[in-house]
Amino acid sequence: MERFSLLLIQSYEAVKAFKLRTLFCLVSVALGIAAITIIVAATEGAYKKAFDIVASFGPDSVMLMGGSEESRAIGQREKTITLDDLEAIRQAFPTAYVVAPSSWVGSVTVSYKGNRYQSQVVGSSSDYSIVWTWPVVEGSDFTEDDIRRYANVGIMGQEVARELFGDQSPVGKFVQIRNLPVQIVGVLSERGTSPGGGSLDNRIIMPYTTVMKKLINEQRYVHAMRLRFTDLENIDGRVEELKRLLRYRHRIPDGQPDDFRIFTSKDIVKFLVALTGSLVVFIGIVGVISLIVAGFVLANLFLLSVKERIKEIGIRRAVGARKQDILMQFLTEAVMITTAGGVVGFILGLVSAQLLTYVAEFPVYFSWKAFAIGLVLSWVVGVGFGLHPARQAANLVPIEAIRT
Amino acid sequence: MAAPVCIMENITKSFHVGDQDLQVLKGVNLTIEQGEFTAIMGTSGSGKSTLMNLMGCLDVPTSGRFILAGRDVMQLNDDELSELRNEHIGFVFQSFYLLPYATVLENVLVPTLYREKKKDHVRDRAAELLKLVGLEERMKFRPTQLSGGEQQRVAICRALINDPELLLADEPTGQLDSRTAEEIMNVLTRTNERGKTVVVITHDADIAAYARRTIHIRDGIITES
Ligand SMILES: Nc1ncnc2c1ncn2[C@@H]1O[C@H](COP(=O)(O)OP(=O)(O)OP(=O)(O)O)[C@@H](O)[C@H]1O
Ligand SMILES: [Mg+2]
Repeated sequence: MERFSLLLIQSYEAVKAFKLRTLFCLVSVALGIAAITIIVAATEGAYKKAFDIVASFGPDSVMLMGGSEESRAIGQREKTITLDDLEAIRQAFPTAYVVAPSSWVGSVTVSYKGNRYQSQVVGSSSDYSIVWTWPVVEGSDFTEDDIRRYANVGIMGQEVARELFGDQSPVGKFVQIRNLPVQIVGVLSERGTSPGGGSLDNRIIMPYTTVMKKLINEQRYVHAMRLRFTDLENIDGRVEELKRLLRYRHRIPDGQPDDFRIFTSKDIVKFLVALTGSLVVFIGIVGVISLIVAGFVLANLFLLSVKERIKEIGIRRAVGARKQDILMQFLTEAVMITTAGGVVGFILGLVSAQLLTYVAEFPVYFSWKAFAIGLVLSWVVGVGFGLHPARQAANLVPIEAIRT
Repeated sequence: MAAPVCIMENITKSFHVGDQDLQVLKGVNLTIEQGEFTAIMGTSGSGKSTLMNLMGCLDVPTSGRFILAGRDVMQLNDDELSELRNEHIGFVFQSFYLLPYATVLENVLVPTLYREKKKDHVRDRAAELLKLVGLEERMKFRPTQLSGGEQQRVAICRALINDPELLLADEPTGQLDSRTAEEIMNVLTRTNERGKTVVVITHDADIAAYARRTIHIRDGIITES
């Protein structure tokens, strides 16, 4: 133990004494580890966020959107899903405990006593809070009866409520949507942002019948439909069946693309991973390259150092150091420096990842795992690239080293 | 009487220089008993350092028989030679060879780093040795903060920390003025009087005069005066 602590003390003295060598090695390792830390944090952040989104989207949920991939790509939104489709799906899928239509108006001015707000109006069936696992925190959902009566009622998101009503409760009040007076019956809980980055709390939910008839003047078509299944384990098969049913109903010949799109929670995870993925790959390449560069910097500076310290190595050998003792000493010095570089790099990565979240929608999450990976990598660099110079030092012939 | 510290029989040593063999030692016979104080003299290039490197097991003879501290040196591998040096030999060199970045105390402790048989209280022992040479106030100093004579005294303490049988000094006063040289030789004399076997290499007759036995090396062989 005494011996080991002496080795550490002497290595530390050397690390302190050869300041430039220490500085250059430390900084270059720190940069590499910082990049790696960001990747690990981003990957973990992405997974965590994906997990949250799947939880709120509902793993048993399926989203059906009108229009084909192609038409969407050229900025066209085809209407292809009808209320008849809705009825047919309801009958064909007994395990679908939710089959809810959805139609929306992207940008509508809503006003209340001179306050105006740019909102999004979404038409839905009466069980919106169940369909989206999105609780009503004040008042209540609108009813089946409201749907049938084309009632002018709505529930609103937190952001609209704040902008139009301040601290007042909107429940029971009337707002003006276009020229339609709409009574607010409930307020939704705070939801945050969508995977794409937009706010979800700026919307007003109304009966889909009302939205279709009075806001977009449409009798047959809905924009989308949301389904939830009780048999979560069969969801992949259900999606296939749904596809077949719709292709049959829409009379799409074999070989032609679908005129609708289906999303599951898996697709959302894919989307998110793709979003962060490219950035992770980029930083990953930078991180690996800078670690390799750091390794070569270290190897070269240590080779120089070995030359400079030939006399020291000679005298150590003369007083009884074996080859492996010399090897251990130089490796200890290298690992000491890279460990310090790893710690500095982790802190650097922490700070820059935090800065990244300000400029981009970039989920990061720090755990001991990120720290441990950084530390292990810095040891790998220390041992991997310190080995060659340490061997050179160990293999010096003692009488050559101390000849005056 | 105890066994001799060092027995050399018909030792030769050659170096390859280019494609030529340079024979520096041509059959050295030398026995050094325990407690001796020996000086080895010779002109520059006569092979004094070569002989000392062999005696100190830093290098191995080309041929001959060599027993050191009861061990047949010719049979030992690199690690065993290191262990032998660590336990049985102390070196003092002309240019001190202290570690510039370590303190005086740490320098003295370097040989204990490599000691196989662990000893307790090495720090106390180092402090004791430094006190014997009058450096107890300098333990936290760096070598660059010391005079040449002080540095050489630190080197002697380092050579003695593992309590070796044999202390080898290659021109220990070569870089010192005559008054400081005298101090160093007094330290070595006292070390010898405490029972250590001491071998000093020098080309200076005044230095050799401190020793009780003087050996001359010339043309690759030794003669005793
Ligand atoms: N490693 C070596 N390779 C080749 N030649 C060597 C080597 N070591 C010593 N020699 C040669 O051996 C001879 C003796 O050298 P050595 O260093 O033993 O002399 P010395 O008596 O110590 O001289 P000085 O008083 O100058 O220190 C010299 O001619 C030297 O060039
Ligand atoms: Mg010499």
